Amino acid sequence: MSRATMNIAAARVASPRLSHLSWLLLVLALAVGFGLPGVVASVLVLTLLTQAVIGGMLAVGVGFLIRQNGVVSFGHAAWYGVSAYCLGLLLRHDVLSAELALVLALAVPTLTAFLLGLVIVRVPGVAFSMLTLAVGQAFHEFAMKAQGVTNGDDGFAIPLPDTLFGLPISTVQQPETMFVLCWSLLALVIFGLYVTVRSPFGRLTEAIRENEERARFIGYRTVLPRAATYAISAFVAALAGLLFALYNGFVSPEVLHWSLSGSALIMAVIGGSRLLWGPALGAVIFFFLKDLAGNMTEHWPAMIGATVIVVTVLMPAGIAGTLAELFERLRKAGGRA
Amino acid sequence: MTGSPYAIEGTALTRPYGGFFAVNKVDIAVPHGEIRGLIGPNGAGKSTLIDVLSGRAAVWSGQVRMDGRDIGALGAQERRRQGMARSFQKTNIFPELSVREQLDIAARKAEKPNVEEVMDELGLSDLGAARARDIAYGEQRRLDLALALIGRPRVLLLDEPAAGLSMRESLGLATLLRDLAQRWKVTVLLVEHDMEVVFSICDRITVLQLGRVLAEGTPDEIRRSADVVTAYLGSAA
Amino acid sequence: MTANVFLIQILNGLVYGGLLFIVSVGLVLIFGLRRVVNFAHGSLFMIGAYVGFSISLVAGFWAGLAGAAVVLAVAGALLDVSVFRPLRRQDPIATVLVTFGLLLILEDLANTVWGKETHSLPLPEILAGSVDILGQPFPAYRLLVIAVAAAVGIGLALWLRFSRVGLFVRASSVDPVTTAVQGVNTDRVSALVVAVGTALAGLSGTIAAPLLALSPSMGGSILIESFIVVVVGGLGSFSGALIAALAIGQIHNLGIIYVPWAATMVPFLLMVAVLVWRPTGFAGSHV
Repeated sequence: MSRATMNIAAARVASPRLSHLSWLLLVLALAVGFGLPGVVASVLVLTLLTQAVIGGMLAVGVGFLIRQNGVVSFGHAAWYGVSAYCLGLLLRHDVLSAELALVLALAVPTLTAFLLGLVIVRVPGVAFSMLTLAVGQAFHEFAMKAQGVTNGDDGFAIPLPDTLFGLPISTVQQPETMFVLCWSLLALVIFGLYVTVRSPFGRLTEAIRENEERARFIGYRTVLPRAATYAISAFVAALAGLLFALYNGFVSPEVLHWSLSGSALIMAVIGGSRLLWGPALGAVIFFFLKDLAGNMTEHWPAMIGATVIVVTVLMPAGIAGTLAELFERLRKAGGRA
Repeated sequence: MTGSPYAIEGTALTRPYGGFFAVNKVDIAVPHGEIRGLIGPNGAGKSTLIDVLSGRAAVWSGQVRMDGRDIGALGAQERRRQGMARSFQKTNIFPELSVREQLDIAARKAEKPNVEEVMDELGLSDLGAARARDIAYGEQRRLDLALALIGRPRVLLLDEPAAGLSMRESLGLATLLRDLAQRWKVTVLLVEHDMEVVFSICDRITVLQLGRVLAEGTPDEIRRSADVVTAYLGSAA
Repeated sequence: MTANVFLIQILNGLVYGGLLFIVSVGLVLIFGLRRVVNFAHGSLFMIGAYVGFSISLVAGFWAGLAGAAVVLAVAGALLDVSVFRPLRRQDPIATVLVTFGLLLILEDLANTVWGKETHSLPLPEILAGSVDILGQPFPAYRLLVIAVAAAVGIGLALWLRFSRVGLFVRASSVDPVTTAVQGVNTDRVSALVVAVGTALAGLSGTIAAPLLALSPSMGGSILIESFIVVVVGGLGSFSGALIAALAIGQIHNLGIIYVPWAATMVPFLLMVAVLVWRPTGFAGSHV
């Protein structure tokens, strides 16, 4: 089996003892999140970290789809952007309470993705990737052209409420608090995906990913589980888009552009999608590299393009995956010694 | 839906391939509990016929019936629910899952999950935790068959189950199939190139050549049929 | 809108459809042989336009056209040798990711060499004017585009039908595995065919340059449109790509005039609709 397919190979059966470890990891992750602003003094770094976490969440959504369905989406910014626009439009037209607007901003892209998923998960392999690129751009085109609705290329500012679920709105506007919120949600999302992956549903989608035909011949409908997986990955992207909209206070067609989808995919590739948190690591690396590069060179696209090529060819498991493999090997060697 | 004497039936099945017909107005009717062999030279259309009967290939023309019911419009998963299962000529398993895991997944869809029984019968009991792509070829073939046997199907379509197996393994498989068919009361349609297997366990044999039924009868009748001999020796030249 | 003006619009649709066809057919060639989708194809189109532009500044339009095709052919051979061939045994998605990385590198290259400002390629003298068609003035240059697209189509059809390499390409489109064992030097032929595919991308880039604005981002939109064409036409099908390109060219053009906001959505909807009906695309995998 090729190394590239190993990148999308399933995890082995985890022993029950690991679920205690995973709870511990979740608590630890949340603690780190709460503690970090105290340690990191620089507002600039916190801002960058917040962006990285939001980008990381989008990347985690893309990575989850690769891992569970074995397909690569070049258009996940669609769900990110639709969520942002939904929130923006609902708040701008003041039709519902802010809290309800939030819920709808998550529900609309997720449901739309599920319905679209019912159609597009039937398309195999690379054709699927091409299709997601086209669909993603369709949303972008719509946002650009439907001036009356979206204000076209200029975008519009989102009128944020004073409080949100009882919290003051400054929570989402200041990097210290917004970072904690985003980081915590990311940790919870990854944990939630972990639980999903280990559930019978998760096992089934992995089996379907490995052999869709045989899954049908042993009695399973394969379209529904795959569409549901696509919807879950869209939900994660939508949540990221929602956080972005709250933090940024502004929405424009950029949130739907294929370059955003591409960046999220790059983060997932660099980090590796076999591990659910791999894309998040990829995002952190991506953002810090970008920040570093921004000061030194204008050739960021070439740098990241080269990185994608190097990682795809030399480290198909991604950085997180490679680290995990290393760790496994050390553990086995330690066990034998 | 009993009433029909035939567990699985194909009527005037036709399916084109390129400029020819892979299967050309083929009639085949297998009574309940029979083990039917399906043989023929390469390119005879055996696999295509199995594909059409199992739902892997759509019915282009003709009818497929199970217990008298037309199942032509049913997809693979629905046919499975009706009690039809199949194995594959090219091993079709879940490479990254363990043996036990994939059989469990299959069992979740079965009315009577019988994972231990199947693993026992097929000698896979010691391999439960092994990843499917790590086990030997012969064991993978048995796993392919095992996936079909979960839930004790009523109709079993097997596409060259002995492919690539040693003589000893093949005969062991043959004995096992005959045994299971009798105990579980399964109707079996078996495509095979291994004549030892076919002649030792089949009640009747259908011979295909170039998409048409050339002959049908008991193993003795087929052995003595001049047409069949010509078909095999003639095409071997 | 009189009938004559309408017919002129059909012609305009043929211009865009023709361009799309030339680009898309390159994708089909590469897919047919290497079973991979070249995500850098749009960037090659863009580089072709820039190379043609630079050459034409010193040596004139026609030299620019020829030069772009040659340079991109060489680039294509290099691409096949360094990317497609080494990765051919891996999951096709690996090639997609590598060509995607290449897309980013090429965009950066264009930015570096030619800058972010838009350039425009001047038309050759003889084609700068307009021709009278059905009483309406029609830019002569656009007739050239249609002519080139037709020439490519006919040339390709003849090549595929009558040459040895063409036979190989057609066979490979249907059954790559069996074709590979026929004793043909697969790698050398592949490099040739991929070179032709990328040369076509470069050629169409230069031809498109006077019509579109030259910018490093022009690759992105043509990539997506050509994907739609290729998928709707059936991955691997030349005739499908032709029909789809012409159809989408018309939709693109007529749509912009009559229903602008919907025009851009229709090709995508068409793509989704075709894939619902036939997940392998419009024409399947015939040639």
